[in-house]
Amino acid sequence: MTQQLRTPTDNELRNIILDRFAADERTASLTLRVGVLNGVVHLAGVVSSIEAWISAAELAEDVSGVRGVVNRIEAPGAPKPARTIHLSLSPDKKQDS
Amino acid sequence: MHKQALLSNIHCFDSLPPEIQERLAKIAVLRHFEAGQVIYLEGEPAESVFIIKNGWIKATRMSSEGREQALLFLHENDIFGDIAVFTHTTYPGTVTALEAVDLWVVPAETVLQLARQYPDLAMEIIRRMGERVLYYVELIEDLSLRSVEARAARTLLRNAGVKNERLIVPRQAWTTFDEMAVRLGTVRDVLSRALHTLENEGLLKIERQEIVLLDPKGLARRGDV
Repeated sequence: MTQQLRTPTDNELRNIILDRFAADERTASLTLRVGVLNGVVHLAGVVSSIEAWISAAELAEDVSGVRGVVNRIEAPGAPKPARTIHLSLSPDKKQDS
Repeated sequence: MHKQALLSNIHCFDSLPPEIQERLAKIAVLRHFEAGQVIYLEGEPAESVFIIKNGWIKATRMSSEGREQALLFLHENDIFGDIAVFTHTTYPGTVTALEAVDLWVVPAETVLQLARQYPDLAMEIIRRMGERVLYYVELIEDLSLRSVEARAARTLLRNAGVKNERLIVPRQAWTTFDEMAVRLGTVRDVLSRALHTLENEGLLKIERQEIVLLDPKGLARRGDV
């Protein structure tokens, strides 16, 4: 018998992402802001490297149930306007959403 | 100017007893944001209400296709963040500073408490929210029923003022074609074509610092299409 997976709520996704940021050494020391609306994650804050900018987006993208990430984090070399959306996530994620 | 005097300039607060204005003034914290900085994100918990002391901000919402749609452009003495606070939801849009802005930040709980205590304030808030609903009804109508040219014509007429006996729409430093496109729910190229069409028809003239409306009646007709 297969079990239907419940899609996490926006608030649950936000908490998961904040926990991941706190637990990951690449983002633990950063002050990042997170909003989630309809499964799309919105990120803001200021970081000192493009690597941190990428890490934050990747950590958020990797959460099951996330439909996309709008990365408004300010970083040297980050794309401007500082927003990117990734909806072409892996097929299993698309099914989840 | 004293913080309380500044707050009493705001229509929403001017009818409040001085002691309440004083209470608000004591609690409100002034924060500064540079152009491009995010004030809050869509989907963030609504913890504060914001009052603009100076500068312009925009509220936008990102579609699932990645297109940004402007919801509001606000400036001095305007209030935002209130809808989410009163509906106990997260912020429905992302707010960004378009230029250097100073904002009074009032904790959500304080605003809720004052609204419960003071019916005049509650009525004013209801009135403002009613206005906002009407604004969004018009925005929906614009986006769903009107062409980009018609939307541009209506927006220009709405924002026009007389200067040196000419009807003009001043262009702020941030009024780029990209920002105007976000405002009208389109993309830069489409907007550019629409404005040049209107210009070729003799309805307006695009100058570096302003857009001159040469034929307001003609623009109004285009806006009704």
